[in-house]
Amino acid sequence: MKLFLGLLKELRWGDFSLLSLYISVLSGVVVGYQYDPAAPLYSVSTLDMLVPYGEYFRSLHFYSSQLFFLFCICHLIAIFEKTVDYSSKRWIMLTATLPVALLILFTGYILRGDATGFSAGMIAEAILLDIPYVGKNINDLFFSISDNGMKRIYINHIIGFGILWGWLAWSHVKKYRVTFNRHVILSISIFTFSILVAAPFEPDHLGVVYIAGPWFFLGLQELLRYLPPILAGVVYPASFIVAIAFLQKKHRLFTPLLVFIIFWLFTYGILTILALNR
Amino acid sequence: MQPTETNLHSRTKRKLLLFFLSIAALYPIIRFLGYSIPRKPQLITISKTVLPGGFYLGKDFILFDDGKKAWALSRKCTHLGCTVHFHEKEKLIECPCHQSRFSIEGIVLNGPAKQPLNKFKVEKLKEHGGYIVTI
Repeated sequence: MKLFLGLLKELRWGDFSLLSLYISVLSGVVVGYQYDPAAPLYSVSTLDMLVPYGEYFRSLHFYSSQLFFLFCICHLIAIFEKTVDYSSKRWIMLTATLPVALLILFTGYILRGDATGFSAGMIAEAILLDIPYVGKNINDLFFSISDNGMKRIYINHIIGFGILWGWLAWSHVKKYRVTFNRHVILSISIFTFSILVAAPFEPDHLGVVYIAGPWFFLGLQELLRYLPPILAGVVYPASFIVAIAFLQKKHRLFTPLLVFIIFWLFTYGILTILALNR
Repeated sequence: MQPTETNLHSRTKRKLLLFFLSIAALYPIIRFLGYSIPRKPQLITISKTVLPGGFYLGKDFILFDDGKKAWALSRKCTHLGCTVHFHEKEKLIECPCHQSRFSIEGIVLNGPAKQPLNKFKVEKLKEHGGYIVTI
């Protein structure tokens, strides 16, 4: 355990996540030249089957984005002890980059337009519409799939959430310069992995009995089976985000918040396992 | 330079003004985003005749015909909006996201869905067979 924690702190997770972000953004621009939000399913199928190197670029975009998010989490854990002096505002802004990054990842899933992506999008829309008073407005801003198809999701994926993430993270990331030549092994690994492994794509077909959402959405999907959308889809995930936003050692509720976060992650893990075993 | 009381007062006033201006600016944005262009009803023609007890699977609906009447059910699950599937063997409709089950009349057999599936208007074409579904 000590060795693991030592290793966790030793590695430059922030560099890794920025490098993955560069690859994700660049490959996203390439994919975007052939992607059409008016015909998402057709577009992604064409990318995978017809467009030269389309499958490779989609895979590169998919896996580099996943890595970016995972490295961000490792980075947060690894540098946590060094953030004692951060002001509350700075800490809240930085931790808010995580749910925003997750939203970018999530909208990417939806934009595939396949069975998994489309269902995940419809579920997200239904959850938002369940929020009293402001639910419709938030849905109009974020998703609005039923009325507008993939149009708004596409805009948010490539511009809206990107700007929001940039605004939240800019004061932090502007200090760092990460170059490919300092992380040759990671760069080559991402490029090679994307050549070998295609990004997932699950078109709808007859007789489907179970659709599992994106990996980070599985626990939520499972909880929605038992609880109303407002509790399972809003209160439960929001409680985790709020807890992280206040998780600073100087905060008088640090220990209860930490216990809550561990308990939350434990229950989410169990729910995810349940969803995987269906 | 130390901020004087007058300075602080005017800064607070400016902040308040900015806050209210932001709220005012939000209103047209909310109205703009919330407007949905009215959608014309879509008429979908199915040229083949479904045999009694059979079904036709469309992108947005499932059409049934028992020989006397035909009806079309929306494929949007009333729980959270996933696309439902018809299982021919068990003669039931199931949602792949949370396994809500519906009868071929659209009635809920198993939750978490609580509302029946929406029905679309179906016109059975007498002359050459087939149907027109309005969605």
